[in-house]
Amino acid sequence: MAEMTTKKNRFQNGKWKNYISYIVIIIFLAILIIINLTKGLGFSDKSTLPRIAFSCILAVSLNLVVGFLGELSLGHAGFMCVGAYLGCYTANVLRTSGNIPELVTIILSMLVAGVVAAVFGFIIGLPALRLKGDYLAIATLAFGEIVRCIFKNLPFFGGAMGMSTKLYDGNTLFIIAFITLLFVVFCCQNLINSKHGRAVVAIRDNEIAAKAMGINVTYYKLLIFMVAAFFAGMAGVLYGATIGTIRQETFSYNYSIEILVMVVLGGMGSINGSLIAAAVITWLNITLQSQLSGALAPVKSIVYALILIIIVVFSNAPAMKGFRESINPRNWRKKTEDAGKIKNDAAAWDRIPTKIRMDDPLSVDTRTTYADSPVPPDVVVKNRDELYVKEETGKEEE
Amino acid sequence: MKKTRIFAIVMAMAMLMSCLFAGSAFAADALKIGATGPLTGDASSYGISVNQGANLAVEEINAAGGVNGYELEFNMIDDKAAAADATTGFGQLMDWGMQASLGSVTSGSCEAFGQQAAQYHVFFLTPSASAASVIATGDTAFRVCFGDPDQGTLAAQELTSRFEKIGCIYDTSDTYSAGIYAAFDEEMKNLGVEYQTFTFDQDNKKSFSAQVEALKDCQVIFCPFYYTEASLVAKECSSSGHGDILLFGCDGFDGLAPLLDDTVTNPIEYITPFDVESTDEKTAAFVANYTEKYGAAPDQFAADGYDCIYTIAALLEAAGVEDTSIDFASLADILVAQITADDFSYDGVTGTMTWDASGASTKIPVIVILN
Amino acid sequence: MAIAINGLSLGAIYALIALGYTMVYGIAKMLNFAHGDVIMVGAYIIYTMCTFTWNLGSMPIWLSSLISFVVAVAVCTILGIVIEKVAYKPLRGASPLAALITAIGVSYLLQGIAQLIWGADQRTISILDRLGTVSLGDVVIKWSAIITVVVGAIIMVCLVLFIKRTRTGRAMLAVSEDKGAAQMMGVNVNAIVSTTFAIGSGLATFASLFYLPITSVSPTLGAMPGIKAFAAAVIGGIGSIPGAMLGGVLLGVVEVVCNSISAVASYTTAIEFALLIIILLVRPIGLLGKKRRVKV
Repeated sequence: MAEMTTKKNRFQNGKWKNYISYIVIIIFLAILIIINLTKGLGFSDKSTLPRIAFSCILAVSLNLVVGFLGELSLGHAGFMCVGAYLGCYTANVLRTSGNIPELVTIILSMLVAGVVAAVFGFIIGLPALRLKGDYLAIATLAFGEIVRCIFKNLPFFGGAMGMSTKLYDGNTLFIIAFITLLFVVFCCQNLINSKHGRAVVAIRDNEIAAKAMGINVTYYKLLIFMVAAFFAGMAGVLYGATIGTIRQETFSYNYSIEILVMVVLGGMGSINGSLIAAAVITWLNITLQSQLSGALAPVKSIVYALILIIIVVFSNAPAMKGFRESINPRNWRKKTEDAGKIKNDAAAWDRIPTKIRMDDPLSVDTRTTYADSPVPPDVVVKNRDELYVKEETGKEEE
Repeated sequence: MKKTRIFAIVMAMAMLMSCLFAGSAFAADALKIGATGPLTGDASSYGISVNQGANLAVEEINAAGGVNGYELEFNMIDDKAAAADATTGFGQLMDWGMQASLGSVTSGSCEAFGQQAAQYHVFFLTPSASAASVIATGDTAFRVCFGDPDQGTLAAQELTSRFEKIGCIYDTSDTYSAGIYAAFDEEMKNLGVEYQTFTFDQDNKKSFSAQVEALKDCQVIFCPFYYTEASLVAKECSSSGHGDILLFGCDGFDGLAPLLDDTVTNPIEYITPFDVESTDEKTAAFVANYTEKYGAAPDQFAADGYDCIYTIAALLEAAGVEDTSIDFASLADILVAQITADDFSYDGVTGTMTWDASGASTKIPVIVILN
Repeated sequence: MAIAINGLSLGAIYALIALGYTMVYGIAKMLNFAHGDVIMVGAYIIYTMCTFTWNLGSMPIWLSSLISFVVAVAVCTILGIVIEKVAYKPLRGASPLAALITAIGVSYLLQGIAQLIWGADQRTISILDRLGTVSLGDVVIKWSAIITVVVGAIIMVCLVLFIKRTRTGRAMLAVSEDKGAAQMMGVNVNAIVSTTFAIGSGLATFASLFYLPITSVSPTLGAMPGIKAFAAAVIGGIGSIPGAMLGGVLLGVVEVVCNSISAVASYTTAIEFALLIIILLVRPIGLLGKKRRVKV
């Protein structure tokens, strides 16, 4: 492991990863604009593209909370709900109050939506100071459901009938959506790479140690919740501009879970991963929707579920580690020392938190497959060291 | 996770490709009618009924030689009763080549669908999205079902003329239910009649013991919601010993009968345009064919879907649309002019209907008594 | 009075589901989001078996219902074990979030399969509600509600005794306390985890049976009670069996009481979840949860 870090060259260690997402998004956007100007985008693309963009915004902002702050939040759709209602209400008011340009309207409404959602983020950030793990997860889920229930009962926002807002022109909406996405990615990456970001990651890795180092845990937890809520609120406005109808049942906990799935599949704490996963999952959902229509529709949820399970088991299961590494392109060039040889259950069991540290000879004894393993014992021990290093630096410890 | 990302990049490439090559192709041999509806999830039984009714109508029309010599083609995309999926579903249908539409099955998604349809000027005739906001989305929006407010007003008049102690349960999270209730409430206030109201919402619509217990002294409970919840209210009433209360519902009650077993003793009445027991020749034939094909009797959703397709076929015939390569916008103009024409009416299984420019249909409701 | 009994019976149902959550959490340290869908499968099996055996007509209704119920318990128990082996066991040792995502996947999968097999139509069936009502003075109470409360209470007591008094039960306690140590003491951890899932799913079938009198069977039957039961488990302190019971009953009573007051009925969900947040703010580990010391 230590050897690995020194071997990293500037390219691997450098900041190219921070820029690659901008470059890809800009190229993607440029291609789309060219297609739209020359041959015209398909009808479905005009609603699919903004949907992909706001899914990406949601996933990136949730990743701030889940991936970087390390708190499980199941109420992200609640912030989006607040943003969608308040932002689109603002947009409706601005449209009736005079001829303000559409672009200004949408930017102003995003701002309002973001600020109001951030206030709600502050409110839900408060319990986060006291609750941990699954308790916080259910508290955030409860918050999302409460928000929905309140909007349902406000006749001011249309009650159960929902609220209508004007659709934004399909030819420019996707451009606005992707530029907003660029803005969000820019803000998030700068936040994460700043000293504030490092403080947040320190809180995730060990809250008590971070506190002991003088980091203001209260401040940073609330900050991250508010920033994430701000972006979710903006995504809510984009939702309104794409769909035109805002109804509270859209923003149920199922939607929060869908965003969480994007974050987890993309990789916790990886902004690029969140972007790709959000785009792919949104696209997959929409494609399945059109491909499996009519009587085939129930097959859709089965296919989606199977894809989800297979990807997660493949990319996370300890038993699949060897297989993962053997097909990882990064390992193609260098000859690995059979890192995948430890793939029986015992390796997995070692990582389960235990108060009694299993010492080496004992755990080697419990490993039954060593007898018929072709790997010489010294290699095994070397790999075990590596395993322990990973265990200590791993962030998944309770 | 690294592996996931590589997999994901490949998928992203595929996505870009699909964006590049997605084109709008128009087939010339059939006129394409599209719709979105809930085919999975909580509301799926409604969407599936409409889909089956519409498909039956398309098959019958095509078997009888089509419309003006060409065939109809129908496709329903799943929207899970969600507005966002109705919007993308609309786009996918347009890419598929949709020329006329049945809109969406549920009100919430049909409003989103209608906004898209208004933007591109696509004609749609929704079977069952009854909220007032749906036909307000544009000039090309029409419906075959009753409007929510009409039913609420009618129910208020009917009930006050017959009963003294009136109770009401409605779903605060559902557009249909809240829409009918709003009109009912207004009419009751106009009539100066006191009544009790209890509510539920989508998160606790599985248990009605509290509401029934609170309304046990009423002679009648007005239930403006769908048959799925109505069956639970009926069961709750009967099993808790209040089996004599009349349950009065709206057209959403249609389809209730198969869900009730011998334990339910409550009398049930509802307002509906479609009576499955009707002896009318057209309705009887529809019920027989539907039952033969799908193994279950049709409900009002299926009848609405069936009537929608036949109405569009009648419109095409009356307007003399010969060419299936006609684009959706010009077709919309023709169909709108035809459906609002004074002499156009369609006699379907849900009654004889005429339309005005607002998009609402006029037809005569009947009150069905369920034994 | 009737409201109290109805609240208790709904609470007992939530408590039975919450037990499944809390046991699985205690042993496997994961949220089993597919638990609600096991209830749905149980309800469908009971429905199918009952309509089948009643149509045969050769048995009295109570006997065929009992047989159907036993079959449903067996199917759900096996289903619980299969889900654990296929979807969760490979992820042991990986991030708990990965298991959460597969749980969601399994939930979608069960719903999709149920819709393929049984269709989307809602179905109702009367089993316990055939028993009618009992009058205590001027209060009319359903037998099904009384049975739910009584059987629910018996199950809780049995479960607590099972965990405290039997070898398997104590092995469960040991595994939930410390897996590594339990394994070294000779506990077969894999078998214990499977047993936990089996018991949780079996209890879910009881919840299906008691839920049938007040609900209809559809592929999404389990979603909302699943979430409410999850909330109940957290209110009581996740991992604690008496806590799950307490949380479930509390939530059920609050729900029924709110629903029966006209003015607040439309805010029922908000009130339930606000109660959850308030309880968590006062006691961040739930009402009966165990406090754990965190070390750096």
